[in-house]
Amino acid sequence: MNAIEVDKLRKTFKVQRNREGLKGAMLDLFKREYNEVMAVKDISFTIPQGEICGYIGENGAGKSTTIKMLTGILVPTSGHLKVGGYVPYAEREKFVQHIGVVFGQRSQLWWDIGVIESFRLLRKVYRVGEQDFKSRLDELVERLQLQDLLNRPVRKLSLGQRMRCELVASLLHQPSILFLDEPTIGLDIVVKSEIREFLLQLNKEHGTTILLTTHDLQDIEALCSRVVMLDDGNIIYDGSLDHLKMTWGKGREVKFQFAEQVSKEKLSILTAGLPVVLEVQSEYEASVIVPQDANVSDVIARVASGVSISDLSIEETNTDDIVREIYRTGNADQPSKQGVS
Amino acid sequence: MYYLGLVSEYLKNYAKTRLTYRADFWIEVISDLMFQVTNLIFIFVVFMHTPTLAGWTRDEMVFVYGYFMIPYGIFSCFFNMWGFSERYIVKGEMDRILTRPAHNLFQILLENVDPPSIIGSFVGAILMITAGSQMGIDFGILDMLLLLIMILGSVLIYFGIYTGLTSISFYSDAPTGILPLVWNIQNYGRYPLTIYNRFIQVLLTWILPFAFVGIVPASRFLEDKGMEQMALLTPAVGIIAFTIGLTMWNVGVKRYRGAGS
Repeated sequence: MNAIEVDKLRKTFKVQRNREGLKGAMLDLFKREYNEVMAVKDISFTIPQGEICGYIGENGAGKSTTIKMLTGILVPTSGHLKVGGYVPYAEREKFVQHIGVVFGQRSQLWWDIGVIESFRLLRKVYRVGEQDFKSRLDELVERLQLQDLLNRPVRKLSLGQRMRCELVASLLHQPSILFLDEPTIGLDIVVKSEIREFLLQLNKEHGTTILLTTHDLQDIEALCSRVVMLDDGNIIYDGSLDHLKMTWGKGREVKFQFAEQVSKEKLSILTAGLPVVLEVQSEYEASVIVPQDANVSDVIARVASGVSISDLSIEETNTDDIVREIYRTGNADQPSKQGVS
Repeated sequence: MYYLGLVSEYLKNYAKTRLTYRADFWIEVISDLMFQVTNLIFIFVVFMHTPTLAGWTRDEMVFVYGYFMIPYGIFSCFFNMWGFSERYIVKGEMDRILTRPAHNLFQILLENVDPPSIIGSFVGAILMITAGSQMGIDFGILDMLLLLIMILGSVLIYFGIYTGLTSISFYSDAPTGILPLVWNIQNYGRYPLTIYNRFIQVLLTWILPFAFVGIVPASRFLEDKGMEQMALLTPAVGIIAFTIGLTMWNVGVKRYRGAGS
């Protein structure tokens, strides 16, 4: 069964056009002009139950707008969507009983009262039985080590502590689908990895479907079997992270440092016949990009046979670079061919 | 039942946060009462110059004012949304509200409860009883029941009008100045309608029915005011106003656009 089904989903916003200057402001007063801005342009995708899916894209790509439609906050302009068997905006109050939502930038806890009081209030709001609540809370508190924080008011918590409490708050009613909008924003590495581990475990034990947006690609690498990439309201990639790396990654980069002066010509001759790209930084430094299917040791052997090497390192193209490249070109279909000569 | 449970839960939390600032609580109670006392003194001053106002005596006016304070106190206790547009729309807190399984307006009202205001209702009741006994009005069980229904109707009128007006924030980008305007008009509802010109009479009765939060229902319990029949309309007007307000709100929520990221 699919947890989330989205078909040709569209959202347009009417944005008032402000004319310039005082005269413009006067004109606006009497006759307004609107621009239609399409934030989400007829996107379609499905997420099966139990999957962790990453939803990435630049700022303003339409991620949050999509999430808000999926959680029932916004009413779509057109298209169909079904989340956990419900049409979110139509049956919102019934529907939200089955989802959990965390907006990293915004708190859902009451600012002035102890964390535990917020949880108790949420228990009432979500109609969770006393017994279920107790066992659920105990489990979550232990997992996320919140024992000492429960009686503190939210305003006295650090961001990392607060975010862990937010997670608990969104999970008290055992939602089958969890939406996370930038859950690791502004957190330190330790908390980030704690949260990632927690989410993985949650997914494994309870089969919770998780959809998260993030700008931190390490979140994606650690958690997601699947990535949906959005650009300017369109889905430009939908598939596994590995596949993205395979098609977009230029391969491995071997960096050489030489003990003697080496000319570019000499290196070209040495690597002739191999499917690699040569980049010479200086007379002592050069790097060779080796595609996934070629053999790194061949390259090293060839180069070492002709010149003396003082140091060398092998680097995998990292995801950040790949995604940056895709954002820049706005297209994930065609991997750039410049890497392969 | 679910909603009643929520009311008590939210009130408990209010108590926990606010009672830690006791001074704050009492200052609010006292400033509320001071405001009401000024209004009362105004009535007394007017009646030092004239024995009747459009056929109404001082005691009758105080009685009406006492009635006026009861629904007003209940309303101000549970409806404290004057910063709605700023907080929930501009800052986007509506997002959080909409992801919870209780009616959104209900949640917002509860998040902003202001229990000190309800003390005004008790003061109003005392005024009504005092003025009533001065005039020798008897309150039977049936009258009490009727009074309760009237108060309920009046509260619904307040809720309807202000919910409708607050929901304008969903339709228009900029918060409008219409709320303070209406707020001022509402005070006209505790004086005899006949002192106003025709336009204001129609406005107060049928457009912004503030006559039904004071003078009209209160006159039911007084002698010969010629509004006894009209007073019985109070619950109906309340239900209509509330339905309109709530509908405007529910339609408005669908137009909510969220804020920022």
